[in-house]
Amino acid sequence: MIKKYLLVFSLLLVSIFAIGACIKSSQKPGAIENFTLQDYNGKNHSLSDFKDSVATVILFIATECPVSNAYNERMENIFHEYGPKGFAFLGINSNKAEFVDRIKEHAKDNGLTFPILKDENNVIADMFEASVTPEAYVLNSEFEILYHGRIDNSRNESEVVSKDLEKTLDEILSGIQVSKKETKAFGCTIKRI
Amino acid sequence: MHNKENLSVMIKHFKLLIFLTGLVLWIKPVYSFFELPALNVIDVNIISIEELKEFIKNRDGKPLLINVWATWCAPCREEFPDLVKIANEYYDQIDVIGISVDFPEEIDSKIIPFLKKQNADFKNYVIKVIEPEDFINLLNENWRGAIPATFIYDANGEQIKYLIGKQSYEEFKKALLKAPSLSPTMGEKI
Repeated sequence: MIKKYLLVFSLLLVSIFAIGACIKSSQKPGAIENFTLQDYNGKNHSLSDFKDSVATVILFIATECPVSNAYNERMENIFHEYGPKGFAFLGINSNKAEFVDRIKEHAKDNGLTFPILKDENNVIADMFEASVTPEAYVLNSEFEILYHGRIDNSRNESEVVSKDLEKTLDEILSGIQVSKKETKAFGCTIKRI
Repeated sequence: MHNKENLSVMIKHFKLLIFLTGLVLWIKPVYSFFELPALNVIDVNIISIEELKEFIKNRDGKPLLINVWATWCAPCREEFPDLVKIANEYYDQIDVIGISVDFPEEIDSKIIPFLKKQNADFKNYVIKVIEPEDFINLLNENWRGAIPATFIYDANGEQIKYLIGKQSYEEFKKALLKAPSLSPTMGEKI
């Protein structure tokens, strides 16, 4: 009788390990782990909420960085253009000295209408290895990074000749492979703890 | 009688005025001659990628330290006094230049006032570039573009060290000391 119970128990243990392994392997190597952060209104947003989107655009931004601020209008325009086409947009503020109230005020003053999440202790910036603001990431439904880098080539909008983020989103929409997966983002260093 | 005295006083005053005017006119050029122009004149020029490439290559027997900064960058502003200290202390052994990534239109309104406030006598430029990656990759392909960033070259124009983020006076010194091709006298001085 004891032997029977031991056998059932062993089988149970093996099954648990097997299921665990399956769950673990569902995350592709190099993919970003799911995370949950609150926006400036206290609402939770998880990466997994956007699994059905065409792709998810993550924008590391700041309230006091002149480079990030130079992109406010451009980011909002991109959100307005590509949001209706099925892309999800999340702004993330990881700067240690930029608090929720200021983020909310800044979003209102600058007409930023996409969700902006507060990354306390820069945990998510560390996970992405984001270093500056603004810095963009585009993730597919399996949270693999399709694009990482700048929004375009110049802080000065009149000198823009390469709209890298928009080009990436157009390529994803067209179902073709992203031609340039990595550019170098430039801007203010993320102020970490 | 009174009129004569008045006239005499007026002539004396006039002579004094002429003397003082002459003195001022004489002193000014003499003073300017002895004045060190570099102390008060801060000149910031625009530099292109090609010019920067040439500048790095054409060393005049001295190592080079390039600091990339901007007036809007808080850690850049914080490390600047230490950079000024290094530049002043080792002006005869290394060339120090700053490259601002502010807009070229901000030279007079932001860059020069900042440099004056910092008493920065070393040469500063503003980079003019359409494709920022050309600038980033010229300085170091592994650099992701975050500033402040400091790049140290030996006297042959070969990069021997790069530092990302805010540095202290000691960290700048340590990095310079580690550079194998710097003159031994500098090592002694450090």
